[in-house]
Amino acid sequence: MTSLQMRGAVLVAVALCAQAAQAEDASKVDFNRDIRHLLADRCYACHGPDEKHREGGVRFDLAESALAKADSGETPIVPGKPDESELIARLISTDEDVRMPPPDSNKKLSAEEIELFRKWIEQGANFQTHWSFVVPEKKEAPSVDFPGWDKTEIDHFLGARLKQEGLQPKTEANKRTLIRRVTFTLTGLPPTPEEVENFLKDDSANAYEKVVDRLLASPHYGEHMARYWLDAARYGDTHGLHLDNYREMWMYRDWVIKAFNDNKPYDVFTTEQLAGDLLPNASWDQQVASGFNRCNVTTNEGGSIAAEVKMRNVNDRVVTTGTIFMGLTMECTRCHDHKYDPLKQKDFYSMYAFFNSIDGGAMDGNSKNHPPFVYSKQAIDEMAELDGKIRQKQEEIKTTLAKIEYQDPGPEVDHPEIKAEEVVWIEDSLPSKASPSGDYNWVGKPEPVFSGEKSSKRTVTGNDQVFFTGSDQPLSVFKGDVLFGYVYLDPKNPPKEIMFQWNDGDWEQRAYWGQDLIPYGTNNQSKHRLGDLPETGKWVRLEVPVEKVKLKEGAKINGWAFTQFDGTVYWDKAGIVTKHGVQPQFKSLTAWSDFVAKHPELIIPENKQVAGILKKPADKRNEQDAQMLRDYFLEFVYTESQETMKKLRADLKSMTDKRESVKKDSPTTLVYKEAAKPVTANILERGEYDHPGEEVTRQVPSFLPPMTEEMPKDRLGLAMWLLDPNHPLTARVAVNRFWQQAFGVGLVKTSEDFGAQGSVPTHPQLLDNLAVEFRESGWDMKALMKRLVMTAAYRQSSDLSPELAKRDPENRLLARGPRFRLDAEMLRDQALAVGGLLVDEIGGPSVKPPQPDGLWKAVGYSGSNTVQFKPDQGHEKIHRRTLYTFIKRTALAPQMSTFDAPDRESCTVRRERTNTPLQALLLLNDPQYVEAAVSMAKRAMDEGGADPLSKIDFLTALAVLNPKNEVQRKELESLYYDSLSYFQQHPEDAGKLIGKDETPAELAAWAIVCNTILNLDEVVTQR
Amino acid sequence: MDPRNEHIQAITRRHFFQKGALGLGAAALASMTPMPAEAAALPSSGIGGLPTLPHFAPKAKRAIYLFMAGAPCQMDLFDYKPQMNEWYDKDLPDSVRKGQRLTTMTSGQKRFPIAPSKFKFTPHGENGTMISELLPHTAKMVDDIAIIKSLHTEAINHDPAITYICTGNQLPGRPSLGSWLSYGLGSMNANLPTFVVMTPNWSGRQQAQALYNRLWGAGFLPSKHSAVTLRKSGDPILFLSNPDGIDGSLRRRMLDSVAKINQETYRLSGDPETQSRISQYEMAFRMQSSVPDLVNLGQETQATLDMYGPDATKPGTFAASCLLARRMVERDVRFVQIFHRGWDQHGNVARDLPAQTKDIDQPAWALIQDLKMRGMLDDTLVVWGGEFGRTIYSQGGLSHENYGRDHHPRCFTIWMAGGGIKPGIVHGETDDFSYNIVKDPVHIADMNATILHCLGINHRKLSVPFQGLDVRLTGVEERSPVKEILI
Repeated sequence: MTSLQMRGAVLVAVALCAQAAQAEDASKVDFNRDIRHLLADRCYACHGPDEKHREGGVRFDLAESALAKADSGETPIVPGKPDESELIARLISTDEDVRMPPPDSNKKLSAEEIELFRKWIEQGANFQTHWSFVVPEKKEAPSVDFPGWDKTEIDHFLGARLKQEGLQPKTEANKRTLIRRVTFTLTGLPPTPEEVENFLKDDSANAYEKVVDRLLASPHYGEHMARYWLDAARYGDTHGLHLDNYREMWMYRDWVIKAFNDNKPYDVFTTEQLAGDLLPNASWDQQVASGFNRCNVTTNEGGSIAAEVKMRNVNDRVVTTGTIFMGLTMECTRCHDHKYDPLKQKDFYSMYAFFNSIDGGAMDGNSKNHPPFVYSKQAIDEMAELDGKIRQKQEEIKTTLAKIEYQDPGPEVDHPEIKAEEVVWIEDSLPSKASPSGDYNWVGKPEPVFSGEKSSKRTVTGNDQVFFTGSDQPLSVFKGDVLFGYVYLDPKNPPKEIMFQWNDGDWEQRAYWGQDLIPYGTNNQSKHRLGDLPETGKWVRLEVPVEKVKLKEGAKINGWAFTQFDGTVYWDKAGIVTKHGVQPQFKSLTAWSDFVAKHPELIIPENKQVAGILKKPADKRNEQDAQMLRDYFLEFVYTESQETMKKLRADLKSMTDKRESVKKDSPTTLVYKEAAKPVTANILERGEYDHPGEEVTRQVPSFLPPMTEEMPKDRLGLAMWLLDPNHPLTARVAVNRFWQQAFGVGLVKTSEDFGAQGSVPTHPQLLDNLAVEFRESGWDMKALMKRLVMTAAYRQSSDLSPELAKRDPENRLLARGPRFRLDAEMLRDQALAVGGLLVDEIGGPSVKPPQPDGLWKAVGYSGSNTVQFKPDQGHEKIHRRTLYTFIKRTALAPQMSTFDAPDRESCTVRRERTNTPLQALLLLNDPQYVEAAVSMAKRAMDEGGADPLSKIDFLTALAVLNPKNEVQRKELESLYYDSLSYFQQHPEDAGKLIGKDETPAELAAWAIVCNTILNLDEVVTQR
Repeated sequence: MDPRNEHIQAITRRHFFQKGALGLGAAALASMTPMPAEAAALPSSGIGGLPTLPHFAPKAKRAIYLFMAGAPCQMDLFDYKPQMNEWYDKDLPDSVRKGQRLTTMTSGQKRFPIAPSKFKFTPHGENGTMISELLPHTAKMVDDIAIIKSLHTEAINHDPAITYICTGNQLPGRPSLGSWLSYGLGSMNANLPTFVVMTPNWSGRQQAQALYNRLWGAGFLPSKHSAVTLRKSGDPILFLSNPDGIDGSLRRRMLDSVAKINQETYRLSGDPETQSRISQYEMAFRMQSSVPDLVNLGQETQATLDMYGPDATKPGTFAASCLLARRMVERDVRFVQIFHRGWDQHGNVARDLPAQTKDIDQPAWALIQDLKMRGMLDDTLVVWGGEFGRTIYSQGGLSHENYGRDHHPRCFTIWMAGGGIKPGIVHGETDDFSYNIVKDPVHIADMNATILHCLGINHRKLSVPFQGLDVRLTGVEERSPVKEILI
C-alpha cells in the first residue's frame, strides 16, 4: 500500500461519517435530504420567501421565523419537542380549518412524511442552508472493497453508497459493449468494426484508456458535446416566432464544436459566450461566441410593441443564464418573489439590467442577420482587401485627374447629345434587397435561357403572378425611357395573356399582351394593352415606353411583377433603356457648366455637392467650388479624358461590385454588442413591460456571494462572478450536466433546478468533490469526461435483475452500467454510419435532408422564407451528421421531435426519453432509415463474405451486436431466407424497395434484415 | 375489424403466448391484445393516465376543438351591435377605448372610425339569439350550443396569443391543452393516438397567420403526449406506410424477428424498457391498419356525407376534418383539435370573412348533428373559437361595403357544446362597441378550466413541477370553470 492509499484508508471512517451525515444514515433525519423539499413543496407557497403571499407570519425557509412565535401566538417548531410544536399539531389535526396543508392546496403529507417531521424535531430541528447554496468543499473519499472499484475517487463514493444500500455492482461489461458505449458517450457515433477489432485484440492493461484518449482527440467529440450545449443554448436556424424566417447563426454552432474539440476550459468557454464582445480587443471568435445571448427566439410580428418584445428577449437571456450556469429557476421571479428559493423579484430585474443594453433593435425584421452581427472571417478579409484596392484606385483617379492639363477651348466647340443606355435590372437573380413573392422557378439550360445562366419558367393554369418589391437600387425613370423584358412562350402550351407591372410606390402601372383575362387594373387607366401575344417558340424582347404606362420622369421603380394567364412562359433579362444619369460629353467646362445648370438631373445623383455648386450663379462660386466642378468635369464629362477615366471607373466599379457581392453573399452570425450607454432597468410590476416600478442597478442575486471590486458591473463581471471559487452553483451545475451525459441521469436529477424544488443529489459529497476538482483542474472538460468514463461504475455491465429494476429503476445508485435509448441525433447518425453513408465533415451551413412533404407548409406563415421545405440534394448534404440538420423551430423535423429532441425555443438542459409506436414507425419506414438499411445490405453483399451466415456475422459486427447470440443469429438467418423467398416470388417488390429495377432478390432480402437490425432494442439503446 | 388483421393479431398473440415463458410480461401482453373499437364501456380513466384522475365523474369523455386561427370578427358573426349603424365612420370614443394599448398596426392611425357590421343578423332558436347571415347553419343549432361573448385575453398579437390560449403561457415551452389531457387522462384506445391535430385548408386570404408545433406540443412533458398530426396528403400519420416493396406479410415477418430477438435481449439484460419497446412495435403494427381504417370515409353513408357538405370527401378541407374528428372520437381518441387558418381580417372583410365562414359553418353544424344522432354529444365536448377578437373600428379604408379589423384582446366570442355544457344559452355581454365586457367576463384560462372541468379535471389539481413552479394549464392566477354554462 502506498502512503497515499494508507492515508485514504485512515480517513475513510471520517469521510464516511461526513457522507452519511449528508445523505446515507437512514436513522438520522437530514434537513437537506429529508425535510427541505417537503417544506418547500407543501409549505413555502404560503410560508416561504415570497412576502406577498405569507400567511400567519410564519416562514419555514428561515429557522428564526419557524422557531419563533407566529401571529397566532403559537410556536411552529419547538426543537426536541414535537408535541409542543404547532407544526405537528397542524399536520395531524382532523379539523379541516386547522389542518395543514389546507385541503384546497391539493398538497398532502403522508404518514411517513409526518413521522419524518416528528423525528426531525425530536432530533433538534436542525435547519441547514439549502445544500446547493453552500460553497462546495472537497472531502476525502470513503474506501470501498469491490474488486476494481478502488481505482477512482468516483468509484469510492459510488461503491461506498452501494455497500450501504446492500447492493453489489456488476462486473465489467464485455469489451464489445464497452467500446460501443464509450464511443457513443464521447462521439455520439458507433465504433467501426475495425475499431472494435483493434480493441478486442489489444490485451494491454490500458487498452480501454487508449480508446478513450483516441475518442477525446476525435473531431467528432466536439460535435457530440456541442449538441448537448446547443440544446441548452437554444440554438436554431430560424427566429422561432411568427414568420419563423431563416436566421443565420451556424458560425456560433461551429464555434461551440471547436471549443469542445480545442478543450477550451469551461471558464473561458463561459466567459466568451456571456461576454466575448466585452473582452479587450475581442477577437472574431470571441464575438461569435457572444452569439450565445442572441439565440433566444425573436419576432417581427406586425403589430408587436417593441418594448414588450424587448422585454421578452431580455427575459429569455436572464432565464437561460440562470438555468444553464446556476440551475436557478429565475423565471419564477419575473412577476413576484420566488416561492421556494430566496430569490427576489428585484434579483430578476437586477440580472435583467446586465442583458438589456444591446446595440440593436428588439424586432428581428424577419432578417437573417438582425444587428448586431459579424461577417464570416473570410468575408471580412476579402472586404478588407477590396477596401484597400478601392482606396488605391480612388487615389489613382485623383492623381490622374490632377495630371490633366486642361485648357477650356471655349463654348462653341460642343454640340451635346445624350444617348440612352441599357440598364439590366433582372438577370438570373432579383435586384439588391428585393423581397420576392411567389415561386420564380429559375431554370438553366437545356431549358430556354435568353442570357446569363437562368430563366424563370412558370407553367400555370389561370391567373398567376410572381413579383418583388423594395429593391434598394431602384430604376430611375427619365423622359422617353423604355422598359424591356424578354419572354419565350412555349408553343405547345402558350399563355392567353402576359403582363408586366411596375411598382413606383404603388402597383398601378401595367402593360399586357394578348387577351384581357388577368383581373387586375382598369383598362387605359391602370393597365394598357400593348398588342397581341408575341410569337411563340422564340425569345422576344417586349418594350414598353414609360409614357405608355404613365410613369413620370423622376419615378423610382422598386418592384416588378410578372403575370401570366395559363400556359408556360420563360421570363428572362429585364430592365430599362434610360437616359437617367447618362453623362453628355463636352470639351468645354464652361459650356458644360451652363448646360448642366439647366439639366441638374444629369448630375450623378450621389454627387450632391456638385449639384449644389451648379445651383449657385457662376460668380458666386469660390475656388474650391471651381476645383470640384473641374474635377467632376474631367472625371465624367470631358471628351478627351473619358477613355482613360472610363477604364478607371470600370476598374473601380468592378471592385465595389465585388465588395457588394461579398457583402451580400457572405454568411453572417448574430453577436452581442453592448450599447454605448447602458439602458436603465426597472422592476416590472407583475412582469408587465408597461408597468415599470423601482429602478434597479446591475446586481447579482442577493443571497449569493456579492460581486467583488475587481468585477466590472457588466456581463464580463457577471462571468467572473459565476466562475469565482466562492460561487456555490456554477461548477456543480456544469459537472452534473456532464455526469448526466455519461450516465443518463444527473447526480441531481433535475439538472435545470438546483433550488429547493429541485431534486437532492444522490451523492452530495461526490458532486462537491467533482465540482471543486473540476475548477481546480482549470475547468478541464475533456479531463472530466475522461474521469467519468474511466470509472468502474461506467464500465460495468448494464444488465439488470428484476429486483434491481424495481429497487432502482432510474439507476441512480449505479449498481449497473448506464442503459438508455439513444438520442434522436445518435440514432440517425448511427444508421448513416453503419450504412457507410455518413459524411465526415465538420461545420458549415445547416443542411436539409429529406423529410415528408408539407410539414413546414402545414404550419408556416405563407410569406415566410421557410414555409416551403426544399430538401438538399446530394450525398454531401443529406448524409451529414444530424447536428447539422436545419432546425426550424416551429416545425422541428420529425426525426428529431419523435425522439424527444427539443424544439430549441427555450433553454433545455435535460431531454425526456420516451418509447412510442411513432418511434417504431419512423425507424421502420422513414426513407432515410430505409436508405441506410439498403446501403448496409449492399455492404453485406460486397464485403460480407460468401454465405448468408458470414453476411450475418458481418452485419452483426457492423451494428456492434453480440456475435455469439445464437437466437439472434438464427432468427436473422431465417428472416433472410423468408425474405428471399418473398422477393423471389415478388421480384417487382425487390425493385421497388431498392429503387432500381432488376434488383436481385438477395439484396432486397438483406435490406429487410438490415431494416430489422436497425430496429433492434440493442441497436437503439445505449447499453 | 379487417379479417386479415384479426388473423395476424391472433398469430401474434399465439406467437407470444408460446414465448411467454421467456419472460414477456403481463403488461406487454395486455397491451398487445387488440382493443375493440366498440369498447365504449371503458372507464374514462384511460391507459397510462394519472391514477388520481379524473378528479370527479366527467360529463365528457373526449373533446373536439375547432380552432379558428387568426381571430374571427365577433361583431360580424355573433356579437350583434345594431347601435353601431349610427356610428358609421365616427371615431371610437376615448371613453370606450380608455387609452388601452393597441397593436402598432393601428396605433399610428389618425382616426379610429367605427365600422358597423355590414352583415345582417336575424333571431334564431327559442331565445331568439341573433346570428349573422354568414352562419346560416350555426344559426340552426343555437339551441344546442352555449355562446360565450365575453372571452378575453392579454395578448394582442397572434404568436403570443395563440400560444397563450393553447398552452397557458405566452412564451413557448409549456404543454398544450391536449398534451395535458393525454398526460392526465391517458388513452382510451390502444390502437390510435390520444391526441390528434388537423390543419385543413382555408378559403380566405392565403397570406395567413402561422401555426407552430408548440400549439399541440408537450412542452416539458414527455413528447409522447404531444399531438399526432393527421396529414392532408401522403401518409395520414407520418411514416405509417411500409416502404414500397414491403407488404403487410413481410412486415409482420420482420416484426416477428424484431420481437423474438428483443425477447432474447430482455432475457439476457432484463431491462423493462425492452419489453415496453416490444409492445410499442406491436402497437405501431396495429396502427398500420387502424389508421387507414379510421380515415376511410367510404364507410360513411351518403346522408352523412351530404350533411357535412360537398367538401366532405375532399381531403384537407375543414368539412373532411370534422367528419374525421367524429370518426376519431367514435373510436375514443381523447382529443381532436382542428386548426382552421385565415381568420386574420385586417382588410377586406367583405371578401374574406364570407369565404372563411363558408368553410366552417356547415361542417361545424354537421358535426354537432352527427354526434347528437349517434348519442355522442352528451359525452363529447365541442369548442369553437379563436385566440382573440377584432376591433369595432376599421383598420385601413372604411366604406359601407368593406373594411378591415385589427386585433382586439378585450372581448371575443366562442361557443361550446356537448358533454357538460348547458345548451341554448348566451353567456357574457359586451358594451355597444363590442369593445369592453360589461357582464360575466371569462378569461381564456377560465375557458380552459371549463374544458378541463367537463373532462373531470379540477384545473387546480392538474399540475407538474417544472423549474420550481407547479405549472398548470390555467397559470398562477385564480381561475375557475364558468359555472353558468355547466350542466
